[in-house]
Amino acid sequence: VTQIMEHSEQARNRFQSELEFIQCLANPNYLNFLAQRGFLRERPFINYLKYLLYWKEPEYAKFLKYPHCLHMLELLQYEHFRKELVNAQCAKFIDEQQLLHWQHYSRKRTRLQQALAEQQQPQQQPPPHGNAATK
Amino acid sequence: DPNMAAVAEKSTKERLLSVLDDLEVLSRELIEMLALSRSQKLPQPGEDTQILELLVQRDREFQELMEVAQQQGKVHQEMQLLEKEVEKRDSDIQQLQKQLKEAEHILATAVYQAKEKLKSIDKARKGSISSEEIIKYAHRISASNAVCAPLNWVPGDPRRPYPTDLEMRSGMLGHMANLPTNGVNGHLPGDALAAGRLPDVLTPNYHWHSSDVPVGMLPPHHGNDFGLEPPGHNKENEDDVEAMSTDSSSSSSDSD
Repeated sequence: VTQIMEHSEQARNRFQSELEFIQCLANPNYLNFLAQRGFLRERPFINYLKYLLYWKEPEYAKFLKYPHCLHMLELLQYEHFRKELVNAQCAKFIDEQQLLHWQHYSRKRTRLQQALAEQQQPQQQPPPHGNAATK
Repeated sequence: DPNMAAVAEKSTKERLLSVLDDLEVLSRELIEMLALSRSQKLPQPGEDTQILELLVQRDREFQELMEVAQQQGKVHQEMQLLEKEVEKRDSDIQQLQKQLKEAEHILATAVYQAKEKLKSIDKARKGSISSEEIIKYAHRISASNAVCAPLNWVPGDPRRPYPTDLEMRSGMLGHMANLPTNGVNGHLPGDALAAGRLPDVLTPNYHWHSSDVPVGMLPPHHGNDFGLEPPGHNKENEDDVEAMSTDSSSSSSDSD
């Protein structure tokens, strides 16, 4: 019985470690670190990255807190991407773009709120033209 | 019997014409003979009777042949009628053939489209997820600011859409390697607390290495093509790695 229990605990540990590891891939600095140490050139590691694609399935993906990692994982399947990650500037560029993308919705929301606020102000006076606001 | 075959090949028209020729020849001979017999005696007695007999015979043949011709005419007419019928039937069959082909085409298209529809139904069913789960997940990744930056984010804020160094080391993998927590880029509990903000790892909700894994949840089996330790979490590697991020001072974005 203990053997069976160990087996399932082993599997749970493996699940948890793979869950952690795949989410680390969302961090471009970590990717740069991996690239500089040559991990991204090793065949077993490349195979492992392919194996990790199972996290794209909904029943696994629902455990991911940082879904950016899935996109990174997909990109990592390409040799060209793995090679480029050795450059620090590449990683920095990815990091910047990632952050900009991350801020995109907040910015959009802020802009919408500003637009709404501006729209509500002139309603107190009758508008000079008959046309509606062009926002 | 070769003679019968030879005779059978001669058409009625030919035979009629040949009999007519014979009649013409015979009647001419008879008339010549009668004309001669006025002035001279017949060189061959009985020749006139012979010719007359031949004439009568030929005439009889002619009459028979005319009857045959008439019969043949009737048969020919029937044949023509039947041929017309056959033509009509033929065109009917062709028409039916066309319609059948059209029907087959329409049915084939309908079947094909039905199959496609079934395929897409299957696909949709396979990919169906309960809306509750989707909402739960959407809440999970938004509330923790994992996919959308917090509205009050400014450069210098340590929060990121990915696990930071500190988070990585405080996870299961980090603990497996027993690392000292020398953090980078201000991602230390001390700094963040001093700045008045909790680091992500201490926030109560949605730990990124979730422990609420159902018992039945197992990763897919893999052979040991790769039996590697996850890199970057080991002590040995720590010696030559001071920072996992770039050399530049901060990794936050200054633009916009």
